[in-house]
Amino acid sequence: MLDFLSRRFAAALVTLALATVVVFAVVEVLPGDPALVMLGTEARPDTLAALRAQYGFDQPLPVRYLHWIGGLLSFDLGNSHAYGTPVAKLIGDRLAVTLPLGALALSWAVLVAVPLGVLAAWKHGTAGDWGVMGFTQIGISVPNFWFGIVLVLLFAVTWQVFPSGGFPGWRQDPRGSVVALVLPALALSLSEIAILTRVTRSAMLDTLREDYVRTARAKGAPERVVLFRHALRNALIPVTTVAGLIAGFLIAGAVIIESVFRLPGVGQLVYDSINNRDLVVIKNVVVLFTILVLAVNLLVDVAYVLLDPRPRVAA
Amino acid sequence: MQSIPRRTFIGAAAAFAVFPAFGPEAWAQAKNRLVVGMSLEPPVLDPNKNAAAAIREITYQNIFESLARIDRTGAIVSGLAESWTISPDGLVYTFKLRPGVKFHDGEALDASVVKFAIDRLFAADSTVPAKSLYTDIASVEAVDPATVKITLKTPNSYLLYNIALCDAAIQHPKSAPTNDKHPVGTGAFQFKERKEGDSITLVKAPTFRDAGSIKLETVIFKVVKDPSAQVSALLAGDVDTFPGFQAPELVERLKKDARFAVVVGTTEGEVILATNNGKKPFNDLKVRQAMAHAINRAELIDAESGFGTPIGSHFAPHNKAYVDLTGTYPFDVAKGKALLAEAGYPNGFEASLKLPPVGYAQRAGEVLASQLGKIGIKVAITQLQWPQWLSEVFKERNYDLTIVAHTEANDIDRYARDGYYWNYDSPEFKAKWREVVAATDFAKRDELLKDCQRIIARDAVNGYLYQLAKIGVWKKELVGMWENSPTPATDLTGVSWK
Repeated sequence: MLDFLSRRFAAALVTLALATVVVFAVVEVLPGDPALVMLGTEARPDTLAALRAQYGFDQPLPVRYLHWIGGLLSFDLGNSHAYGTPVAKLIGDRLAVTLPLGALALSWAVLVAVPLGVLAAWKHGTAGDWGVMGFTQIGISVPNFWFGIVLVLLFAVTWQVFPSGGFPGWRQDPRGSVVALVLPALALSLSEIAILTRVTRSAMLDTLREDYVRTARAKGAPERVVLFRHALRNALIPVTTVAGLIAGFLIAGAVIIESVFRLPGVGQLVYDSINNRDLVVIKNVVVLFTILVLAVNLLVDVAYVLLDPRPRVAA
Repeated sequence: MQSIPRRTFIGAAAAFAVFPAFGPEAWAQAKNRLVVGMSLEPPVLDPNKNAAAAIREITYQNIFESLARIDRTGAIVSGLAESWTISPDGLVYTFKLRPGVKFHDGEALDASVVKFAIDRLFAADSTVPAKSLYTDIASVEAVDPATVKITLKTPNSYLLYNIALCDAAIQHPKSAPTNDKHPVGTGAFQFKERKEGDSITLVKAPTFRDAGSIKLETVIFKVVKDPSAQVSALLAGDVDTFPGFQAPELVERLKKDARFAVVVGTTEGEVILATNNGKKPFNDLKVRQAMAHAINRAELIDAESGFGTPIGSHFAPHNKAYVDLTGTYPFDVAKGKALLAEAGYPNGFEASLKLPPVGYAQRAGEVLASQLGKIGIKVAITQLQWPQWLSEVFKERNYDLTIVAHTEANDIDRYARDGYYWNYDSPEFKAKWREVVAATDFAKRDELLKDCQRIIARDAVNGYLYQLAKIGVWKKELVGMWENSPTPATDLTGVSWK
């Protein structure tokens, strides 16, 4: 088992190293001059040149790449050019919004989708199954930003039970911060609920047809035990894979939801940094996203091992 | 929202609503607290470090003050200098400083501080974005603690205006290095805290010389970029005002709400179809005249939901030196076609239109493409991000056509510049502009400015479309907000709740 996981870990490190090269290359070819963005249309050529020298934009590319990697390895991410604040603090503050948002959306999705999927598989072909499938069809089709706007109109504008957006900050107002994440998490999770429900349903339909399930029923096990202990346990393997993939999508999908709900999250930071050509922030955030996705994949691997002993043996 | 039966929504919502209901937050609005919505977030908060208009919209007059001040009508009035005299040759400006002025950190204002602040605007190693406005200054001298003398190399009739801008904010040498993150000025409000990506909070400054006249205790600038989120923030009561509301198509919704006043005023933004005069076929006057005849301004303003005033030159209609030149090349498709044929393009030609990511340009882009299509110019639209637009269009001048608002006041001087992105080069205009700058008599200057407008209108340098409107939305109980936008500012010193 350790051998299996350590190979996975090594693969993740190689992926990460390659990702830094790709990220650097992509960020450097972005059209636009950061100094011009900062100083605007009235800037003089001499002031632009002075600013470029100040930020090291005039250095050769390999030097800038090594400088950046050196900083990453010593946990010194440098200062944002646009905001003037340390990149690490900037990203840390934003993660404090985006990670809880993603976690809330994901747990909401799992908690709703798995029982719904089991129900649909168990009641296969009945009105209940059709109802669940209809709901998932809507969930997949509705864009999450539109659903977000509808939620704001209902809960913030019409009934005024939730704020229309914004984020008070964990230190200043912990309760208000949780409240501020409820609607965005709901909006973010809708399509994920739909996808996970479908995956759970089809995985359950497969396992329910297995011989061992028939055996379990034949020996007189209660339906609850058959469903949740025998069938669901095996069905959870594809469900876990998809949930892991979804976690990555949640971080990416948060960009739009954060804009609808005015949440100062990582998605908004990336969006603003691209518009400001704040290259140092873009590079580091994208690498951080890469690390997050790799970490989630590793966690999924660990979950596999716990759920199913076969990878352990195969390794 | 009210027109749809509420039950439908409750039913739909109940399907999802398994979470506990939270009570309404304490929105109770104290009568000395104001939440101002902003469409764009300022990167830093120091106008000497970044050109973003959002910096000026937050700090001008509220945090930072300049020697002179641009008031709500656009007039230049006394600021940190209570009076000034100008020598007859227009070269020496002597400013008398206001007594008792203190910075938010307790430091006093005197002539040496002013000298420091103005010197760094034009110093050789200065990286101030607006440096070019101040390079006519030869020296700044602290005559005595309350008197500052500015000497120019050549007369500049715009010096006072430039000195009144937020770019010439008087900063103290002690706080200047950290003003980007923690601005310290002499204004009525002092910086309290910033949550990047969310809000900037100011509180009334106890050090302000006239603190008794300031009615607001706390001001929160909240960043709301998405137009529909701006509307919901207003409707939900999370924001009291958007002084510069960016989505004209959503204004009707707000007008219906009795809680809000929608006030339409003027800005200094001329929206133009900027044209590369240095590139074939746009270097041909006949082609540019043909394009001018193809432009239907009424239709363009319709696309802005009716907001905007037609212009025929590069000048704001509310300026007293304005002359109406919208009739120079009236909308006439047949005439446009004929001129294009005369220029040697009976079948038209293909052109690219590079659009920056701003609402007005997006809305006008499609309309203009179709208008130019009617005289045979096949326009292909390309969308650019701001940084791309700045590099590709503005700096490298690699474009045919673009749509942009020139938002600085008095910016007709751009037509006299060498190497500006329009590639317009007119000895006649340059000579006229030199006269404008050197004019010490303002009545004469206004006449010269009218000539300037006529020259560029006649040369059809760019397509002159309309003056952007300022759409202000605020709660009806709020008084003292600026109707017009003579300079980027949200001056809250005269704002209070009824």
